[in-house]
Parts: sequence; C-alpha cells; structure tokens
Amino acid sequence: MAKKFLDPHEVKPILGTEGWEEMYPFYYQFSKTDKERMEYESSQLWFYDGLHYPEPHYPFDLIWDEAWYLALSQYNTRVFMVPPAKGIDHRIVNGYVYITPVGITDPKEIESRIPLFQKRAGYYYENWDKIYDKWVDKTKELIAELENISFPDLPEIEDESIVFDSSGLSSGYNLGIKYDELINMGFKVWQYHFEMLNLGYAAYVTFINTANEVFPDIPMHNLTKMVSGIDTVMYRPDEELIKLAKLAITLGIDPVIASQKKFDTLAEELKKSDKGISWLDALERARYPWFYISTGTGWYHHHISWNDNLDIPLSSINMYIEVIKDGKNPSRSTEKLIKERDETVEKYINLIKNEDQRNAFEETLKIARRVFPYVENHMFYVENWFHSVFWRKVRELAKIFVNNKIIDDVEDVWYLNRFEVKSLIDDLVRAWATGIIPAGRTYWPEKIKNRKVIIKKFQEWTPPPALGTPPEVVNEPFTIVLWGVTTGVLKNWLRSLEGTTSENITELQGSPGSAGIVEGKARVIRTVEQLDQLEKGEIMVAPTTSPSWAPVFTKIAGAVTDVGGPMCHAAIVCREYGLPTVVGTGNATAVIKTGDLIRINGNEGTVEIIEHR
Amino acid sequence: MRELNQLYTIWYDELRGGDYELVGKKNANLGEMMHAGIPISPGFAITIHANDSFIEKTGIRSKIETLVKKNGEATDENIKKLSKTIMSEIESADIPSEIEEDILENYHKLCKKCNLDAVPAAVRSSGGVSMPGQMETYLNIRGDKDLIRYIKKCWSSSYNVEAIHYRVNRDMSVLFNIGVGIPKMVHSKVSGVIFTLNPINGDFSKISVDASYGLGEAIVSGLVTPDTYLIDKVTLELIKTKIGSKEIKCVYEADGSDIKKVDVDNELRKKSALTNQELAYLAETAVKIENYYGKAYDIEFGIDEDLPFPENVIVLQVRPESIWNKKKDMSGKIGKPADVMNIILNNLISGIKAG
Repeated sequence: MAKKFLDPHEVKPILGTEGWEEMYPFYYQFSKTDKERMEYESSQLWFYDGLHYPEPHYPFDLIWDEAWYLALSQYNTRVFMVPPAKGIDHRIVNGYVYITPVGITDPKEIESRIPLFQKRAGYYYENWDKIYDKWVDKTKELIAELENISFPDLPEIEDESIVFDSSGLSSGYNLGIKYDELINMGFKVWQYHFEMLNLGYAAYVTFINTANEVFPDIPMHNLTKMVSGIDTVMYRPDEELIKLAKLAITLGIDPVIASQKKFDTLAEELKKSDKGISWLDALERARYPWFYISTGTGWYHHHISWNDNLDIPLSSINMYIEVIKDGKNPSRSTEKLIKERDETVEKYINLIKNEDQRNAFEETLKIARRVFPYVENHMFYVENWFHSVFWRKVRELAKIFVNNKIIDDVEDVWYLNRFEVKSLIDDLVRAWATGIIPAGRTYWPEKIKNRKVIIKKFQEWTPPPALGTPPEVVNEPFTIVLWGVTTGVLKNWLRSLEGTTSENITELQGSPGSAGIVEGKARVIRTVEQLDQLEKGEIMVAPTTSPSWAPVFTKIAGAVTDVGGPMCHAAIVCREYGLPTVVGTGNATAVIKTGDLIRINGNEGTVEIIEHR
Repeated sequence: MRELNQLYTIWYDELRGGDYELVGKKNANLGEMMHAGIPISPGFAITIHANDSFIEKTGIRSKIETLVKKNGEATDENIKKLSKTIMSEIESADIPSEIEEDILENYHKLCKKCNLDAVPAAVRSSGGVSMPGQMETYLNIRGDKDLIRYIKKCWSSSYNVEAIHYRVNRDMSVLFNIGVGIPKMVHSKVSGVIFTLNPINGDFSKISVDASYGLGEAIVSGLVTPDTYLIDKVTLELIKTKIGSKEIKCVYEADGSDIKKVDVDNELRKKSALTNQELAYLAETAVKIENYYGKAYDIEFGIDEDLPFPENVIVLQVRPESIWNKKKDMSGKIGKPADVMNIILNNLISGIKAG
C-alpha cells in the first residue's frame, strides 16, 4: 500500500491556468523557496476541506477561509492555550483549500499550557449560558451595524453638508473606509464565531469519548441524539415555512400559491384579497431574520439566502402544502423527540453498573448539553444571517464599479480578491477625485476574463482527498468529529490511490451518518439549483448539504456525502428524518454517477455500487 | 377449581417457579420463564403425582418398600439388584388408563398445535430436588406408543444405580418419584447463541447474536463461521451485520436417532440466516431475560421449522455470562468525575479513539 499521499509540492498544475496563484494571498501557496517551510509542509497531512468547500474558491470568497484560519487558530494557540493543539494551517491548490491541524508534541510545552487552559476555558464553561447570551446580543449588534453600511455611488458634486458640517472627509475617502469596515466586520464576526466554538466542541468530544469508553460500540448517532437540542435556531426557518404552508391551507389560498412559481407574480395576485394580504404579512414577519438562511452553506457568494430569492422558499412552501394535503404532518414533534431522547439517555445510564463511570457519563453529558446550543445555533447567526447580508453589501459596492465601467457585471467582483478590490477602489476614487478615467477600466476586465476560464478548469478538476504524510493514527478530535477524517478513512483514501478508476470501485467507506439500509437510484447534486432534479425515492449524492435543503429530505430515500463527520448537517438532519445516510466518503460525487443503482448502509457507513448506469 | 396437586399433567404456561413440588424443578423453571415472557418450546409437564399414582396403583410402591426392607445393607451389589428389579417392574407395568389417557390427550393437543401427526418430543426428567445428571432424558420421541414407553423409562431412570446411590449417600428415601417434561423437540432450521453484551469488549449496551443454519451443534462446536449481528440494547437497532460462510449445518437423521452434517446451499450461505423480524424479536427476548435475571446472560436459541413466527423463536438454554459479569467493577481509564474540566483536558491530550 502506498504509505504517503502525493507531496503537496508535486501537484501538477492544470494547463491553461497559468498564473492562478495571484488570485489568492501569497501565504496560501505551498512554498517553493523556503526550505524549512517546505519540509514542514511535506511532513504534514493536508486534507481537502470539502466539508466547507465543495467547489474551488472564487478569489473574493476566500475571505471566510482567511477569517476562520485566523480565528480558530488564535483561540487554540494564543487565547485558551489548548494544551496539545495549535491552530489549523491552510493552503490552496488549484483553487481548493487544504488544511492541516498543527499539534504540540513536546510534553513540557503541553504541561506548561495546562494551568492556563484550566483557568481560561474553565471560566467559559462555568459561565457558558451567560456568555452565550452576551454573544447573541453582540453578534446581532454587529449584523445591525453591517446592515447600516451603504455604498452609494460617488457623487458628481459632493453634498454641501461636507462643507457646512465641516467634516473634512470626502465620499471618495469614505468609500475606502467603508470597504475596510465591511471587511473588518467580516473578520470580526469570525472572531466571535470561534470565541466559543472550540471549547464547545472540546466538551462535546469529551462526552463522546467518555461514552465510548463505557459503551465501545455505541453508534455515534445515538450519542449526538442525546446531546442535540431539539428546539434549535437552525430548524426555525424550516418551521416558518411549514407554518406558512398551514396558514395557506387554513385561509384556503393554497391553490393560488401552488399556481405560481414566481414570487413576484404571486404577490401581485395575493394583494387582491384580504386573505392574500394577511398571508403576505405573515410571510414578511417570518422573513426577518429567518429567511436569511442560506441555500448553501453560506461560504460562497452564490449561496444566496431565501431573502435574496423568494422563489426558493415559495417552492418549499408548496412542497409542504402537498405533504400536508397528503395527510402527513411535516412538523417535528418536539415533545415526542424530547421524550424519546430523555428515555434513551435514562436507559443507557441504567446500564452502567460502575459508579465512577456513571458519574463521568452524566457529568460530561451535562456539559455537552450546556455547550451544544451554541454549537448548533452559531451557524445561523454567522454563516447564514451575517454572510447573506455581507454578500448583498458587496454586490451593492460592486454596482459602483459597474456604474463606473470598471467591471462589466456585479457578479464579476468575485473574481477579484479582497486586496484587489481595495486597490480597485483606490484607483477609482483617485480618478473620481481627479476627474479622469480610472486605470482599472482595461486592467480588471482582462483579468476577470482569464480567471473565469481558470475557475472553470478548477471546477473540472477533482482534488485528491489528501496530500502529504498521514499520521500513524488520527487522534485530533476536531478532525474526526467535524471532517470525519479517521485513521480508517485515511487508509481507504490511500487504497484508492492504487490505480483504481471510478469504474471499478464498487464500494465506498465513509462514516455512519444516520442508521438504516436502503437501495435506490443515485442522483448527484452539486448545487442548490439542482435540487429540483431529485425524484422521489432517489438517493442524493452531494459534496455536502445545507440546512435549507430540508424540504428535499421528505422526498429522498437516503443521502451520501463526500465530506463530513457524524456531526455534520447532513447527518443531523437525516437522523431527524430517519433517512439512511453515509457521510465523509471522500469521493462519492466523483465515483457515483446519476442513475447508478447503489445500496447505502447507514449503520456501517458503507456505500455499495450495485450497478453502474 | 381443579386441585393442582391432583392433576397428572400441567402445561408449561400454567406453571410457576414455585410449583417444583408438583412437577419437579426443571418443569417449574420452564413455566417461570414462559411466565416472564421468554419463549420456550411448547409442551406440558407430567406431574410427580402422576408418577406416584402409577407406582401406587400398579402395586410397585409396596414392592419397592418390601424390597428395600429385605435388602439390608446398601452395598453396591445390593443396590444394583434393587435397581434392576424396580426398573424392570416400572418399564413392564401398564400405566393406569386414566393417567395414560390424560397424557396422550395432551400429547395430541401438542401435535395439533404443531400441525404434525406425531410431533417429535423430548421426554425430560424433572426431579423435585436437584440431582444433576442422575436421570435420563430422551430425545426425538414420537407417536403414542413410544411416548408412553419412554415416559416409563424416564420414571424408571430415577431408580438407576447412580440415582439410588446418590440418594442413599444423602440419607434420602429410595422411593423417589419425579416429574417428566414433554416439550416439542425444537426442529431448528436456524440456531444460535446470544450474549446480552458484546463479548469482545464487554459493552453492556449491546446484544450480540451468532446464528447459523440447522441445529446449534454447528455453532457451539465451532464447525461453521456463523453470521454475527450486533444490536443496540437501548434502541434495538441493528448496528452491525457480518455474514458468515456457514458451509455446513447439523440436522437430525430421518429417524431422529442421530445428528449428521450436511452442506449448505451456496446461495443460502451468502444470505442472512435470520430475518430482521426474527432478530428484533430475539433482541427483545434477550433484554427480557437479562432484566429477569438482573445480569448479563448467555442464551441458546433455535428457530423452529414447524411453527409460525413468533412462536418459532425458541429459547433452548440460558446461563449467566461468565467473563464480563465479573469484570464489571473494574474502573476504566476515566478519572474521578468530580472535575469535568480534568476529563476534558485528558481527552484533549490523549485524543479520540474513534475510527
């Protein structure tokens, strides 16, 4: 068996993408000159972060990767002084982000960090609920601040208030400042994001480990079920849709709603009746903030929110109307779920005969439950709500660039990275100030044109699941729980290097996401736009999934993802819907083709390809 | 109401553990298990009273008493003679018709229940006090004539040399009548072993099931690689299934006299020996047994070919699990729970063992 993955410095470039490196910050490149850095890079295991990034990066979108690279790492390394773990290092290869956990191996160094960690992390665990309440407040404040930033075009003539308030600052200068503020807010929200997340996961992982010592074979999904909050913010958007579907039926306007696919024309129609108006009012109330849920993971600019395109929630509302009229209740029975959860916990606890073990189980469960609301809910505030507003603001800004004929289309802005956008603004405001044509007018469109080709080529490339040197055993807790990268998964990835092509692979190994065995036709789904291709009873094969995909879970028979551990969204939602699910297969979307007959075993985490199309 | 102590036969489902004075311990235990919801092979007990009446009414009783008095010292020689005489008296006597009719009526009921003309049954001795291994059990007995013959053989076995020795050595009376159990022979198309934990790592929240085709001998004596299943005790979900090769199976010879090995069909080898329905039922049963006895148990079971689900799922034998029950007080690596912070710290430092 091959012992190592391809060395990161030896990845072959893709023809026709020459010069791609300049799209991303220089510190994201695997080094070509610094020997010491190269040695370090070769000795690490780098795995492709497909959990967050099913696609290559648009230069601008890399901002979120930069943000969590910084935030996660600093909290481990410098703030909470997590004894054995430093940050997570990032690189980019052909547009795809690879990451590697950086550990501390010197026992003395680990030892010296322990008292600091105990004091600092201890403070957070003890005051968790209070800190979390504060967290929600300050994050909402930040989002309000973000909403308040606006990007009006540069005026021909400055408003006279500049003179009479004697502020001394021009719109040109302010545009640069506001852009900086926008970017800084983006980084700030990610500072918040990791303020509590690492500690939350540490407590959660501790419970998982403790439970595994007591019950070595306990299925991971039973453990997550014990911890999961039933009434979490992430389910709210979907619940709002169900409420709207029910309201439509109660008002008797469901046929009107079902008759329209476009929200705008539907709204015109509904405004003609009182019932229609009251339904529209209810929808308007649900929209803020719940329709800020992203249609993707929120990491890409094209992962728009429902608020950006109301046709999307409309189609989900119609799906729910159908389900309800079929006599089924799509709502989750929270009471029942809570009762089931508590009964399960009690039964497991009753099986523990040793008192120390029982106490450890109960105590770690308690702390895991304390931290879990944050672990589950933060995503709505940051990746969904904040990101959605942020993307909208960047589009607002890009409109100025279009108006000034620097770029052709608002959507072209994503092909420039955050530093380039800043220099574009610098050029623009100087030209505006001076009354001349900006230099960027021919410079940027040419780059954008090339980059569109490059990104397309990147999209056609399949990134290898890992690069570099695998460790003997994977024991870094975050890597396992979040990304599903275990020693076993690495072995499978290594095995797949040995000359197997996708045609002769008949079995994939991932992690069990949700129990059950099911057989069916596969459909490979890469983006939210492809969701409506899913036919009833098909098995969805996707790089990863988003919470806003919930309505399709009433339709499919099971799900398979490339990336993700037992705690990833796909796993959690599928457990709720009782759908057999395998997560973290590494390359299901590359190996499985739409139409293949597959059998998935959510108990063991295996996918069998019975028949290639 | 019938006086229980005047009955010649009582069905298992009407018995309780406390009825051992009526039917012997083995029979009473089976009744108790059935009462606890543990599925056992259907059948009935012939009471000790039936044996008493038989001995009384045929005049054998007084013969035994006379012989015992006459025989003097309990030498090996004397006991051998005594045993021989009593046993042949019992085996050659006719059972009084009211007792025989009662037994046969119930045997016919059992045949009807199993949808067979002459259901093969076991004839099991069941003493009112434990006398391990002293008395006989006969397997695969079918038809009225043989049944009666072997019941008498079973009764007579409580007067074999070993049994009389055993009693004499313990100052017990030579006169010792027993109960007899008549359960249907389990005609296992599939059989196996259950542990109410995972025997590999002692996980008390699991039920492990091994199963293969035919009689249990194939698994117990390691002749085949069985299918193995792991079930969660709390949620009863099937966590792991491993299909074993199951190349052969053990079955009874046509006349039931012996066991032979037969090749298993290729297609069947690849299939799961148990259905999901059977597995679920077995898991529930295992939980019942564990709850009933209050500790981890080791259970032998068979899936009977002649009966419909769920009556076909039959527990053959239960005993306490012997390894992990003793180990359960060993504390794991878990530190003192007083400080959760320390547990978290230890976890971060030692890493996670998943995968």
